[in-house]
Amino acid sequence: MTRPSDLLGRLAACLAGALVLSLMWGPQEGSFGNFWFVINHALFSPRVLVFLALGVVAFLAISFWPKVVPFLARPGVWPLIAGTLTVIAAQTLMHWADQVGDAKFGTVANAVANTNGISSLAATFFGGLAWAQLVVIVLLIGAAIVTGIRNFGWAAAALSVVAAVIAFIAHGAVVNRAGGADHSLGVYVCIVGYLVLMTAGLVVAMSHEQVANSQRAVNRVLGWRPGLPLVLIGAVLGLISMTSSAWFSPQNYNATLIDTNNLFKGTGLAPIASQYLLWLGWALFAASLALSGAATYLRNRTLGWAGAAVGGVGVVLTILTLYRISSLAARRGVDGAEGPWQNLGAGGWMTAAALFLIGAGGYIAATAPRFAGRTAEVDSDAVASGRSASGAFLTAPGAVRSGIMLAIAVALFYPPTANGFWQSVLVSQIGIYVLLAIGLNVVVGWAGLLDLGFIAFYAIGSYTTAYLVGSLPVKPPSWLHMSPLLAIPFAVVICLLAGLALGAPTLRLRGDYLAIVTLGFGEIIRIVAVNGDRVTNGSQGPSTQVPHPVIDLGPVSITWGLNQLQYWYLLMVFVLVVLLAFRRLEHSRVGRAWAAIREDEVAAQATGINTFRIKLLAFAIGASTSGVAGVFFASQVGFFTPDNFLLNNSILVVAYVVFGGMGSLPGAIAGAALLTWLPEFLKDQVPAADRQMWIGAVVLLMMIFRPGGLIPARRRAVELSGLPEQRQSLEARDVPIHEGAAR
Amino acid sequence: MNYLILGLTRGSMYALIALGYTLVYGVLQLINFAHSEVFMSGAFGSYAIVHLIVGDGKNTPSWSVPFVLIAGILAGAVTAAVIAWALERVAYRPLRKRGAPKLAFLISAIGASFFLSQLFGKLFGRLTSNSFPEFFDQNAVIFKPFGAEVRVLQIVIIVSAIVMMIFLDRLVTVTKLGRSIRAISEDAPTAALMGIDIDKTISRTFVIGGLLGGAAGFLFGLNFSFGNTMGFIPGVKAFAAAVLGGIGNIRGAMIGGLLLGIVENLVPLINIDTKWTDVVAFVVLVLVLMFRPTGILGERLGRAA
Repeated sequence: MTRPSDLLGRLAACLAGALVLSLMWGPQEGSFGNFWFVINHALFSPRVLVFLALGVVAFLAISFWPKVVPFLARPGVWPLIAGTLTVIAAQTLMHWADQVGDAKFGTVANAVANTNGISSLAATFFGGLAWAQLVVIVLLIGAAIVTGIRNFGWAAAALSVVAAVIAFIAHGAVVNRAGGADHSLGVYVCIVGYLVLMTAGLVVAMSHEQVANSQRAVNRVLGWRPGLPLVLIGAVLGLISMTSSAWFSPQNYNATLIDTNNLFKGTGLAPIASQYLLWLGWALFAASLALSGAATYLRNRTLGWAGAAVGGVGVVLTILTLYRISSLAARRGVDGAEGPWQNLGAGGWMTAAALFLIGAGGYIAATAPRFAGRTAEVDSDAVASGRSASGAFLTAPGAVRSGIMLAIAVALFYPPTANGFWQSVLVSQIGIYVLLAIGLNVVVGWAGLLDLGFIAFYAIGSYTTAYLVGSLPVKPPSWLHMSPLLAIPFAVVICLLAGLALGAPTLRLRGDYLAIVTLGFGEIIRIVAVNGDRVTNGSQGPSTQVPHPVIDLGPVSITWGLNQLQYWYLLMVFVLVVLLAFRRLEHSRVGRAWAAIREDEVAAQATGINTFRIKLLAFAIGASTSGVAGVFFASQVGFFTPDNFLLNNSILVVAYVVFGGMGSLPGAIAGAALLTWLPEFLKDQVPAADRQMWIGAVVLLMMIFRPGGLIPARRRAVELSGLPEQRQSLEARDVPIHEGAAR
Repeated sequence: MNYLILGLTRGSMYALIALGYTLVYGVLQLINFAHSEVFMSGAFGSYAIVHLIVGDGKNTPSWSVPFVLIAGILAGAVTAAVIAWALERVAYRPLRKRGAPKLAFLISAIGASFFLSQLFGKLFGRLTSNSFPEFFDQNAVIFKPFGAEVRVLQIVIIVSAIVMMIFLDRLVTVTKLGRSIRAISEDAPTAALMGIDIDKTISRTFVIGGLLGGAAGFLFGLNFSFGNTMGFIPGVKAFAAAVLGGIGNIRGAMIGGLLLGIVENLVPLINIDTKWTDVVAFVVLVLVLMFRPTGILGERLGRAA
């Protein structure tokens, strides 16, 4: 065992951690008149004792960790933990009904308890069943894991489904009762949690010697029929949205699909839309479900393509119908109808997502590798090493692509159902910073150059746009006056030049010198923007509003206004273009040259890479991406100030990239999305001023426990964990044969 | 001349902070981004003690002023050293054990920096400009060389900074610990083979950096004001100063700090509006780095001392 001094140290560390946590949890203190009183108040409160007790528990847990580990390795344990935490988080942190108070679970439960005449199921659910069912399921799975009795696992899986359904119905009852628009996500996260618990139950029930741990078991479940999980999710989502979700909701009236059909019967709705509402929607749903379901189950490619096609047609028709009903309602003066794309409930978008997912399932079935024996053998080599070398959790065939499809579905169809606040967060925080992080990933992640002034290029892009549209005190010549989208190439070129101008003299500097120079550059740009009154209008920002983008190409004419959704989809296009380009770049000659420089600049130079030019290229590419983001930002917000381009933002973008996993595109996206989402999420949970503290803690813990980031690049993961034999071939395959690498 | 004195004052504080960056850089080849928060914590720690001793400072007997000052410096230094030690244990050592990429350290330090700054804000209020009790006449002019006015506080700051720097220089040159630090900055694996306990030395290096930074925090708070976000800007400046002098180089950090402080305060003299101060400072930095890519004195911690 460990020495006593180690144990003491660990105990001290646990207690100190607990103390810090209790300070973080505590109320805002602080007044300078009575400094010591503050300290007393913070340190000697009952809360501290509770946290110290938790510290002791943590100490015991760590000390007996070796005894715990064998249990953790048992199948089903990790899904059990993940599912339980998800459900608990949903029932403590998230919104359940936007109309009720602060909308958290407890508030809603109180409201339900004080309301008469709500359905008895909802009353019981919010009156304690919610927690009781969670406890029962967890105990059942726990018992199944400990005793190895499979029937417990099956029972728990079945109960989880029941629990999810109960939660959904109860939530629906409350929302119906409260009326009005509801954008809360609590119940959906709760359902996801129960689905994970169901997986845990299934894994326990189906486990045997060949499936020795959770990861393998989960991969087996997912890999049983590639694409089937997507089809199932789509089926559930479609059933929910077509039967009970609101499709059209002007002024607190929530019309389901059937209600909408009745509402628009005989109003001169375009035939395709009225047919859709009447029967075509269901027919498409059923047809695509049948085709894709059969395709995934039978592993039939033709059926898969058919399913994908029907699903695609379904998505298009659904969106068309949504457009028709919303614009018709406005034309006919339905109360509260505001125009095309307005007043739409979540139902239509969820149906579109469902059809998309079903189609995607079919597509995955259609493009999956030919079936070669049992699934377990298909990826047995990847699974055999336990945690695979790439650090990837999902090794089942099609699992990663399914995940990507799911992410696309969420990105496309979630924003319309979110409320205005989250839409604006999605656009002006998450989306823009994702784009910036993708750009910086080239510089920091791939080329390994630490750039602490990245936001400067963003500023340059924004100011270039403001200049070109004539919003700055300095006007462009009249022939150059243009709309924001046309400014993109100019902004890109100017940022490119700025990148070169910064890079050319400084890129000969090594690592940390470069960091301080770029940092200085960022500050210089900002200070110039603040002080250059005659050119930039100083700290006020551009004097007149930067107009919103317009596309006017004869038949296609789109005007962006105040609706955040339009910007979201515009941003998606940008991100998509940049992503496609960068994906090609990553494994190209240039991409590999960057990796070489990052790993060892001298060696890279010795192999004949012109390191200076290649580094400059990384700088310029990163800068121009940032410029695009700048154009978008300027035209979206209209008014901005130099305070949007603080040094802090530069540092944060670096943090997003590293947090997500340096050098990995999905990592950069995930890191930026998560860390920009977190402050907005924390707004509901902790005092606003404390948010940065929690974010700091999250970043710190992430780096301590997963230094590679959320989704490490494969190359880097290999660096961290060593290169097992079987993966070597995979690495070498990155290099196209004709470019002459050893195979 | 007045500007020069102001510059020296500011520069000596920069130099004290910059030493923290440079020491850590010497042993780890990493920028300790959370050092600005170490500096900040020093100001708070010393405030607690000074406040305890002198109250609102109205009736402090003049004989006790030097002792209060020393107590303040010590309190600031010790607080900051504790924070720096904890920082190394939490944000650096676990990552080192896992062989994390270099940038991961940077980000963990940034996380720690946000965390510390906001935690202090939560505990002690988020006012940005708190001031120490005025327990002596800080602005009394002592003497006037060449028409410049030298004030008590400036003397205090410059003298204590110089004393500490000499102390540090001796420490690094003469003592066993100093030898270990130099050895590690020369070549860590070899130093380990020679029987130097790397972990312990790194930890102590953080503590030394923290001591200096905490003292600087006290002096800075006494001269200007302090608050939970005070660390960021001096931190960046001191980092620039460390790079200017040649990061990892102790004497370089001293010279870089003084130079940066003087340059900043000389800006008004050459007919540039003070709002461009930071631009001038960074331009000087870039120019120096372009002609001497490893700073004024070059890099090596060992060689300089």
